[in-house]
This record gives sequence, C-alpha cells and structure tokens, in this order.
Amino acid sequence: MAFVDYYQILGLDKNADDKAIKNAYRKLARKYHPDLNPNDKEAQKKFQELNEANEVLSDPEKRKKYDKYGKDWQHSEEFERARQARSQAGGQEGQWYGGSSEGFSDFFESMFGSGFGGGRQARFRGQDYQAEIHLGLRDAYETHKQTLTVNGKNIRITVPAGVENGQTIKIAGHGGPGSNGGPNGDLYITFSVGADEKFRRSGNDLHLKADLDLYTAVLGGELVVETLSGKVKLPVKPETQNGSVVRLKGKGFPVYKQDGHFGDLYVTFDVKIPTNLTDRQKELFTELSKS
Amino acid sequence: MENDQLIAIEVFCTSYDVEYAFVESLQERDLIETVIVGDARFLQVPQLNRIERIIRLHRELDINLEGIEAIQGLLSRIEHLDREIATLRNRLQFYEPGL
Repeated sequence: MAFVDYYQILGLDKNADDKAIKNAYRKLARKYHPDLNPNDKEAQKKFQELNEANEVLSDPEKRKKYDKYGKDWQHSEEFERARQARSQAGGQEGQWYGGSSEGFSDFFESMFGSGFGGGRQARFRGQDYQAEIHLGLRDAYETHKQTLTVNGKNIRITVPAGVENGQTIKIAGHGGPGSNGGPNGDLYITFSVGADEKFRRSGNDLHLKADLDLYTAVLGGELVVETLSGKVKLPVKPETQNGSVVRLKGKGFPVYKQDGHFGDLYVTFDVKIPTNLTDRQKELFTELSKS
Repeated sequence: MENDQLIAIEVFCTSYDVEYAFVESLQERDLIETVIVGDARFLQVPQLNRIERIIRLHRELDINLEGIEAIQGLLSRIEHLDREIATLRNRLQFYEPGL
C-alpha cells in the first residue's frame, strides 16, 4: 500500500490554510466532477482522489493525524489511542456526494477507517449501478435471457436482439435500494458486442465474403452461403466479376426492438483462381487465351 | 401513471434537504418537470437522477441556476455527440476490424 500525498493531489504546500484548501478543492472539483465528465473513468478516479484529499485536509483532526503519521501510517494507532483518550465527541458536518464519490484508497482506510464520518446525509433514491455485458455478434442476433451478478445479486435480464456495440440500456429499479421510502436506483448495462470472424456488421446490415470458384464465376451456377439464419442457395450469374456484390434482402441483422425487421446481407464474391493445374488444364487455358 | 412513480415534492425536499422554492425555480427554468395530481405537486421518479445531478452541481460546486442551465444544455450535447461517436466508431470498425 502506497503513501498518498494529499497536498500534492490538491496542488498545495504543507502550510496551506483552510481557505487555500477549500479553493484548491473547488477549482479541481469543477474540473473533474463526474457530473461534468460523464463516462470518463479517469475524471471519476481523479475526483475520488480529490474528495479523499479534501476529506482529510479540511478536517483539522484528520489533517493533524495525517501530517504527523502520513508517511509512517503504520504507527497511526498511537494517535488513535491518544485521540480516544481526549474523548472529543461529534463528527464533522457531512458533505452530500450522491453517487459520485464512493471509494477510498487503502491508505485512507488504513488511517481513518472506511467512508465518511457520522454527519453524512442519508440517501433517498438508491445508488445507480453500472454493468457491462460482452456478447459475440451471434449472441446479439437473437433475443435471449442472461443472468448477471450485480453487487452479489443475480439479475436475469432479457437482451433484445439487435443491440449495438457500446449501447447502454437502463433497467429501472434494479440499482441499490432506496432509503426513507425512496425508490431503488437504476441499473445501466452497456453492451460490448465483439466482432465475428465471418460476418461484419454495419448498423443492421451484414457483410460476408464468399469464395467462388472460377468456373462458376465464368459459367454461372449456384453457391451455398451461410447466413445467421441458416444456409441459403444463391444463384450466380454467368461472367460474375471478382469483388462483385449481391444483396440478400432481410438476411442481415435484426433491427433493435422491431420484431420481424431485419437488415440485409451483402455477399462479396471472392473469385478463386485454380491452382496446381494439370498439363491438360494449362493447355486449355492457353487455348482460351488465344481464342 | 402509477403512484409509485411519483414522489411528493414535500417528501423530496425533506429527503434532500432542499427548499420547496428551489424545486419551483428548477421547474420555472424548465430544468425539471413536475406533475400535479389533485392539489399536490409531484416529481416523477425518472426525473430524480436529473434533479440529483442539479443539486450536486449546486451544492458541491457552488454553481448557480444560470450556470446549471448552461451545463445541462452542454451535457445534452455531449450525450448526443457520445452517441454519434459510438455509431461512427462501430462504422469505422467495419473497415478496420482491429480498432
């Protein structure tokens, strides 16, 4: 566990007075406050550090303890015993941070115990929870149930077909419990949809590269291609060029929350030139080249 | 609308230690919406997240309501841009799958 330099976090020297601490905290809090930096994990981490530094340096008793034992925090118990002997009652007035300032460093908890002192205001609405679900492209193709564990509780959710990579859905009331008659918080689930080795997705459309032998490309015929709903037989026109694309309507990805609606599947032909030709085949190609 | 989706403003004010007038001023500025049922005024539960954020900005950062109005507008724009970036990133991944 590393020593945390609270003065450095707030950009202050050790002689800073209360006003300077307050000003430094306010200035940096305005920069890194999670409400002003949505989805920015770095800002959130920085804000937690700021809160921790402010929690210690703005409280005379904590600051005194930190200044005396900060670098030598293992011996802070002596301070604690002396403090209890003085029997000073009452805690500092708590600050209300909503859901934005949870989590203290091990260093803080080792010196001061966990969390804020007694004066903190009770929450009304429960805390919002965040979760991430990783899916393969084929998993996101079909509506399915999935169980996830959030804060030790199993929650079974329905993942609708067609979710996008990076999409976040809110499940109301599945966050932390409310208090004093307040409602539960919400659960926000962000989907991370991975790539597939065969199919590439563009919105609701899918793209597939299909190998086509030279003879079928030249003379025409049929090709069986894989789609996410099963194999289909695809007619191939004579003289099909390498890289040409055909569209299979409705064989793409399901449209999110629109049952029965699908994007299209675009198949790009990758014409394969035969290899290991026999002498006879070479003769025939030579003949063709002269015709 | 179900009643468990409504919070009486008085209850809200007590729980969050804010003045009734503060909630009224948020409504006057269209920062939140309230619902009147009978003689009483209520907040809708889905609004709580938004109003909690306003209170945090006001209390923790000393930002006045004019500032909060401006921030709310900018946050909406950020949200919109974030969605656009996610869409464009997904589209870019189509051309560069390793991204």
